[in-house]
Amino acid sequence: MSKKRKISLSEEELVRALQNREKIAIEALYDMYSSSLYGVISRIVIDEATAEDVLQETFVKIWHSFSGYSTEKGRLFTWMVNIARNLAIDKIRSKDFKNQNKNQELENNVTFIDEQRNTVYNPELLGIKELVATLKPEQKLILELVYFKGYTHVEAADELGIPLGTIKTRLRMAILELRKHFN
Amino acid sequence: MKVWKVEDISAYIESGILELYVLGDVSPEEKLQVEAMAAKHPAIKAELGEIERSMEVYAEENAIEPAEHLRSRVLNSILTNFADDRTFETERIEPKDKVIALPAQRTNNFYKYAFAACLALLMASIVVLISMYNKLQDSNNTIAALQSDKQHFANTVSLKEGELEVLQDASFKFLKLQATPKAPTGSHITVAWSPSKKKVWIDMKSLKMPENDKEHQYQLWALVGGKPIDLGVFDANADTADMKEMKSTALADAFAVTLEPKGGSPTPTMDEMMVVGKF
Repeated sequence: MSKKRKISLSEEELVRALQNREKIAIEALYDMYSSSLYGVISRIVIDEATAEDVLQETFVKIWHSFSGYSTEKGRLFTWMVNIARNLAIDKIRSKDFKNQNKNQELENNVTFIDEQRNTVYNPELLGIKELVATLKPEQKLILELVYFKGYTHVEAADELGIPLGTIKTRLRMAILELRKHFN
Repeated sequence: MKVWKVEDISAYIESGILELYVLGDVSPEEKLQVEAMAAKHPAIKAELGEIERSMEVYAEENAIEPAEHLRSRVLNSILTNFADDRTFETERIEPKDKVIALPAQRTNNFYKYAFAACLALLMASIVVLISMYNKLQDSNNTIAALQSDKQHFANTVSLKEGELEVLQDASFKFLKLQATPKAPTGSHITVAWSPSKKKVWIDMKSLKMPENDKEHQYQLWALVGGKPIDLGVFDANADTADMKEMKSTALADAFAVTLEPKGGSPTPTMDEMMVVGKF
């Protein structure tokens, strides 16, 4: 056992501490959200070292632009995950990254990630895997593309050859299905 | 802003725009619109909250723990702003259960770099080799030039030694052969002859004769009791060497030079006698 414990605060406390620029806030923020954010980032970026860079950039950006967040706009995580996703997408669309990864096959990396990373199993979330498995394949696919691969719904419609309206409906149905189980 | 009816609000929710808003996949105008709608209609705000919460749980479910060392790196990169020397411990709470950490599979870049290094070394070697080869060629050329110079000097020295021998040897007699009416006035050749050593030289330096053409050469004769003895041929050119050793003879009453076809004749063509001299 380590002497240090993971810091965890309620969302209100955390937001207040961040607004007051308290050091403890950024530690708590990292401990509470780094794995969720890293899960999204590393599915978009794939390369481990680059994903780590993006995670660092994400926290730096969250810290510096925290004044741009307000609770009225929604949940803290929603705001943060959009920063993380945008940084990750900027990274893979940058010229450097494209050159560097020319030879890497996407398919190879999916299994590579699974072998390499230990996914965190939160006891509170046990069973959700199966619940998610009840999603229809097309619902899972659209969630995967938009949430984890950084596609816009327009790009996803293009990729799948499906009308925009259908994409929106599927996305809503998929999230409704998740909500059913999470509530 | 337009007043929305309840049916409109549910249609707005059904349109899927709220999901796209949560996913950050809306235009700035749509974003402002959603925020305004949420502020105005509790039903939309509640719906948004639900979507956000479910996506947050979904992300937690798909969470991946970043490497331990990253925590202090990230926090310290932010805390440089605090301008204090506080650092964060990398260590975090260890799981209570016995978890055997699997060694992370790192891509092995060693061979890639080793190959690149070998390639670089090969290129460098080739460059050095080419420059060394060029230097070697230069050196060889210099050596060849020096050798030819050396040969030239050696030849000159042996020639000069021969001349010195003639000049220092008291047994040599010098005879100036004078022009016949056939030759231009003033033509002459100096012959040095040592009866005891049977050697005959002609001094090409002081030679003054019309230049012979390609088909003809001068031939030196010794006359012994009126009989001519062939002593060899020579050319009268501007670039001929200092002294030339001819065939040997122990006896001579007189010397004469005739113009003969190239290579000489067995007997002199008396009509073509150019110079003659008697002891």
